[in-house]
Amino acid sequence: MAKKISTPANIESAAPAPATAAASSETKLRMPAEEKYAAELAYLASVDKDPRPFAWRLSPRMIRTFILGAGPGDSFDRPIAQKFFGDASLVERAIVTLASDRGLLLIGDPGTGKSWLAELLAAATSGNSTHVVQGTAGTTEDHIKYSWNVAMVIAGGQSRESMIPSPIMTAMQRGEMGRFEELTRCGSDVQDALISILSEKYITIPELRGDESVVYAKPGFNMIATANSRDRGVNELSTALKRRFNFVTIPIVTNKKSEKEIVLFRTRELMARHTISVDVPPTMLDILLQTFADLREATANTASEDQRLESSLSTAEQIGVLEDALLHSNFFGDKALQPGTLARSLVGTLVRRVPEDVSILNKFWHASATETEGVKKRKKGEEAATSAAPKSDKSPEWEAFVAGGKQALTSFK
Amino acid sequence: MTSILDPALLDPALQALRTQLEAAAAAFAGDSAHLGALLRAMIEDVQRATAEPVEVFPVKHHSPASALHMLRRLRARAPKVIYMEGCEDLNASLAGLHHCRFPVALQAYAPEAPAFPVDWTPLNVVLPLTEFSAEYQAIAYCLQNPGTKLVFVDRSVDHVFQWMPRGGPPPGSDDEADDGGAEPEEAEAEAGEGESAGNTGNLHGGAVGLQIGAMQPTFGDFLDVLLRNAKVRHYSEWWTQYVEGPTLACDYGTYRQVFFLVGSLLRRIGITEKDRVADCERERYMWTRIREHMKAHAIDPREAMYVCGAIHAVSPIPEFGSKGTAWTVPAKTPTQWFYGVVPSSYAAIERQFSLPAGEISIAQSMWDKGLQALDLKPFKIEAEKKESENKPTVRKKAAAPAAASAPVDVVPAAVSGAGLRDFLTRPPTFVAADDEQLMRWCVEIVRLARKNGYTSSTADTIAILHTATLLARLRDRPHPSPYDFQDAAVTCLEKDRVPGRRDVRRLCQILLGGDRLGRVGYESLPPLAQDVYDRLAVLGVNLKSSRIERALLDIQGRPELLPASDLLWRLRYLGAGVRPIMGERTLGHKPKQESWDIEIGKHQSSLIQLGYEGLTIEQVLEKRLKAKAFEATSRAAKALEAAEDSVLYLRSGRLTRELGLRATELLRAELGGNDAPEIFQRVRGLVHYYRTLGMPDWIKDFVSTGYRHYATLLPTAFTDRGTAPRQLAAMLAFIFTQEALAFSMGCERSQLLIAVAQAEPDDPPKIALRWAAQWILGQRSEDEIRADFQHLLHSQWLLPAFPEYMAGFLLALEFTPRISRLAVEFLSRAFAALPDEVLVPWLPKLVVTLRPLGSGVMQTLVKEAGLAFPRELGKLEAWEFAWDRSVPVAPPPAPKARSEVKPAAALAVERSPVELAVATLLRAEPATLDALAGLLGVAPTWTPLAGAPEAATASAAEAEAEPVAEPVASAADTPLAQLLAAHPEALQALAARLQALT
Repeated sequence: MAKKISTPANIESAAPAPATAAASSETKLRMPAEEKYAAELAYLASVDKDPRPFAWRLSPRMIRTFILGAGPGDSFDRPIAQKFFGDASLVERAIVTLASDRGLLLIGDPGTGKSWLAELLAAATSGNSTHVVQGTAGTTEDHIKYSWNVAMVIAGGQSRESMIPSPIMTAMQRGEMGRFEELTRCGSDVQDALISILSEKYITIPELRGDESVVYAKPGFNMIATANSRDRGVNELSTALKRRFNFVTIPIVTNKKSEKEIVLFRTRELMARHTISVDVPPTMLDILLQTFADLREATANTASEDQRLESSLSTAEQIGVLEDALLHSNFFGDKALQPGTLARSLVGTLVRRVPEDVSILNKFWHASATETEGVKKRKKGEEAATSAAPKSDKSPEWEAFVAGGKQALTSFK
Repeated sequence: MTSILDPALLDPALQALRTQLEAAAAAFAGDSAHLGALLRAMIEDVQRATAEPVEVFPVKHHSPASALHMLRRLRARAPKVIYMEGCEDLNASLAGLHHCRFPVALQAYAPEAPAFPVDWTPLNVVLPLTEFSAEYQAIAYCLQNPGTKLVFVDRSVDHVFQWMPRGGPPPGSDDEADDGGAEPEEAEAEAGEGESAGNTGNLHGGAVGLQIGAMQPTFGDFLDVLLRNAKVRHYSEWWTQYVEGPTLACDYGTYRQVFFLVGSLLRRIGITEKDRVADCERERYMWTRIREHMKAHAIDPREAMYVCGAIHAVSPIPEFGSKGTAWTVPAKTPTQWFYGVVPSSYAAIERQFSLPAGEISIAQSMWDKGLQALDLKPFKIEAEKKESENKPTVRKKAAAPAAASAPVDVVPAAVSGAGLRDFLTRPPTFVAADDEQLMRWCVEIVRLARKNGYTSSTADTIAILHTATLLARLRDRPHPSPYDFQDAAVTCLEKDRVPGRRDVRRLCQILLGGDRLGRVGYESLPPLAQDVYDRLAVLGVNLKSSRIERALLDIQGRPELLPASDLLWRLRYLGAGVRPIMGERTLGHKPKQESWDIEIGKHQSSLIQLGYEGLTIEQVLEKRLKAKAFEATSRAAKALEAAEDSVLYLRSGRLTRELGLRATELLRAELGGNDAPEIFQRVRGLVHYYRTLGMPDWIKDFVSTGYRHYATLLPTAFTDRGTAPRQLAAMLAFIFTQEALAFSMGCERSQLLIAVAQAEPDDPPKIALRWAAQWILGQRSEDEIRADFQHLLHSQWLLPAFPEYMAGFLLALEFTPRISRLAVEFLSRAFAALPDEVLVPWLPKLVVTLRPLGSGVMQTLVKEAGLAFPRELGKLEAWEFAWDRSVPVAPPPAPKARSEVKPAAALAVERSPVELAVATLLRAEPATLDALAGLLGVAPTWTPLAGAPEAATASAAEAEAEPVAEPVASAADTPLAQLLAAHPEALQALAARLQALT
């Protein structure tokens, strides 16, 4: 049924075998979740005894375990790593939504892990996370439903063969998860094409006749969409579409401990691509996290939009900074991560608009970063343990970090 | 019934359980020695607690299961005495629980506590009680049945504070989260900062909260593991699912053992070492008290019940039990405590003990459900009936439930360890599914959401139901808990966050019962509060309402409202939940109409706390004012303020006099003039106020003391750099403005003369002040001052200091408006003469100097300036400063001149002889102007030239043509005339031309 023409998804989708995983890591820059965690998924499926809704590969409980990781209490034979760091109930709500009649819309600031969660969910439920439609201003209804291979239509007329199904249609036909990235980036008329897909669960093809004219969704199909909360108001969802989605808001991680875990987890993963194994010194990580925490606080306390950085200061941003700094120190530096390098990466990553962001950072750098003592005092000792290291203002890392940042800022002139 | 107390019966079953657990430990844990030891110890704990002859009743705070079991237990078998965990001295406030709407809190309050650190006071302890707690049921039972006595046995409130670590933050304030957020005495005081607007979360204020049966794990790692394995978010959720629910319906013996077991688990690995030590201390205390009481009242241990937190029930201390070792209770501090009942609220309790929001309402819904399922009637604390019918009803009540409950009562505590074993080995029995309730919730939440602006429909109801069920299954629950329901509702309903709209989670809380605000009934209030209620009754607003009530007082129309208004002002002064919207209270102000926002219902607790300080509001107010004036660090200004407040709020001559005399006394002892500005302002106000009523002697005394005192201080103040010019000015102001009164009290000016003569100031502002003072005293003439300032202006070296001199001189305006003319003169000169680099930086300072002088001074200055400067532009040319004229003749002011001229006559502009000549000439040769007038389109009419030579016309055309054109209106008012007057060149040229032609 599936057409080879549509997306690379289809080429891959032929049941990713665990054996091929190692081989494909050579040929693919980034493997989809179902290939990357193929062994885990296969194992979980083998021990899963709970009923599975529709044609899901795993039961909801196992999906939860897959995403949130297993503890010693779960008594599995192999470790299941935690892949998404966040509130457990949020993941539960997302899983349950997929099992229900409604689509799932993940909303959050950029860099909060919406797409990652969507990918994990799709991989765990249907073993294929590649039925993705990327929403852009140029997305048309054809991208959501189907289009025609013009040459074949001229040669043989309109038929199922000459039709190019969209990733979503493919997902429907196979009973798998369809994903829609950045739903709010495309226009309302295009968005509304989803309404009938979500409620009737079929797509009609008026050009064809008879049985051919309707493509029904197999059980197991559902939609996972993501939307950026910064785009709110650009292309507001219609009420009808809103009703067909359950919204799950993914907050920015503010818990220091889990943020640390995320940053380390992701950075290790990214560095593994370059076969660099790095140890981020804990003090560096603390400096990075503390600076971001202070920046967030400073941003939250400013009233006007002009005084805010364009960056959302999300966890992904931190990972970006750290990755940049690590790569820099690995290729051009003396391997070990230096505070100055980190500061330069931070400034380089956060400055997007040249006069505005530089001046905001400049102010921050001189008001807060240099006086970390003062910043700390305002928050009551909740993070006494973590902030103990950078708290001593004399620590040489902090000084080097501050100096590096200032140097980077001067270079912007 | 005795079976429960017989250890012989229990042991075998528990022993079997123990063996089984040990086997399990050996099988599952690699390090079985530790686990085995732990499990064994836990079982031993259970055995020990069960074997205790005193019936130990383990509870958890606000736990419906505990309450239900307490209810059933008391129905089945009433003990003679109930010992309860709870500060022993709070017994005193139990009586106040009648007439209350729950939740309320027992309170102990100490306004002063010299034995404790200063920043701790006032010490405040609250013990909130909800209706669905075991302690409430026990208290209610004991209040209804005099046969059973209730005794609080825990350490006294005093010890609560004694055992707190000194040097830490004040208790009750936002305390540092040390280990798990709990203080040793389970006072997890979280309240303190941050007014949560609109809700009652901050009701307890900075009080230290106590709970009966606190069972919060304080050891972070333990809690993490517990929550993670149970797949729940909060400890309370875990509790509800794994302990509360299963024990709700099980029999009493099992309930006890399960609670013992959980308590033992928490005690052994769930709490921090610090908490464990503190717990031991308290348990020693409690058991010592229990034994003392039993001995004193000859009570058989078997007839007693001991209600305490499950953690305390499994204490390993040697003092445990009716036969435990003795212990001496530490002494109390001499702090005087007051006891009472204050209203509480669910939100306040949740906040105080950092429970997740909505927790208490969920507990309440479980309680209601449990009552319904078991068909029980709870004990209620009700208002006492009249004495005559009291006893029979109580007996009847006591008898009736026993009969009624007989069939309900499940196996009256004929319990063996098998109960616990069964409980642990069988799969957990959860509360029976209540689909109907869930359905109702789903429907209700959609309705509620729609009401709050969400676009929700029946489709959502179905989706919520579906999602809730799925969520529950995902979380290993056969039936959705309220938490699952909440999550489902949020998932399905919340699409985007709109500021100002309630979010779905909040709606769910409202649905499950929402916040409830307790109220203390009138009868249970302290006399002060009752008095306030009585006296405010005349306003006709609902004082019990928890909302803001608006009271409108038309005092002029209804003079009987005046006392109520007085009372409201007093309450406001004491900060007890009233706020004036319109109306003021100042010296001598007669109130006509006032409107008030009254929130007494919500802030009942502050009123109750006032009640600890006195019998009436007036008494408390007097106390406060006196404390303010008589404390060791008080200053004259403060005492005077207190005196003024006493005039405003109390109208008690005696008190005012006392405070006033105290102020005089303080003033006499004061060494500097730091407070002089404030004292001066207050005295001026008071003297002004008393002038119409007759001066009381204290104010006379104060003024004469002040006069002498400040006169004495003057020479030092002039030279001392520590005294600011403003303070010096205020001292002089005091002296000069109150001079008359002071003279009448026997002061003499000679003192002042000598003092001023002694003053040798160095600073420019003070020198200027001295000049002003000397001028008033006649020691320096106006011309001399002028000469001084001229000297400043003309000396290049002194010029930069001119602004400072001026600043000082302007300060003198406060006490003598007479210098305003001079001030204007000097300012004008300064603007004219000062170079820019001195003038421009000075200008902002000038504004700053003038501002505190008040509007009155500014008015005088402006008026004076208005007199000094020309009013019209036309006069500018001929104008010169009044003080520059050699002859100090005051020219007739312009408006006067205008009023003299006849209405029909022309401008009030003087004419020079030349102009006069031109006018005469024009009248002789009218043809040109007639033609001109024709061109301008006006009828040429000539008014006769005023005969007298001084009557004049400004310039020919304007003067003659215009007034004729509009004879009625004053010519100066027409725009054309003004324009011409402003630019006379054209006409003057015309006139010159005409003259040349002739």
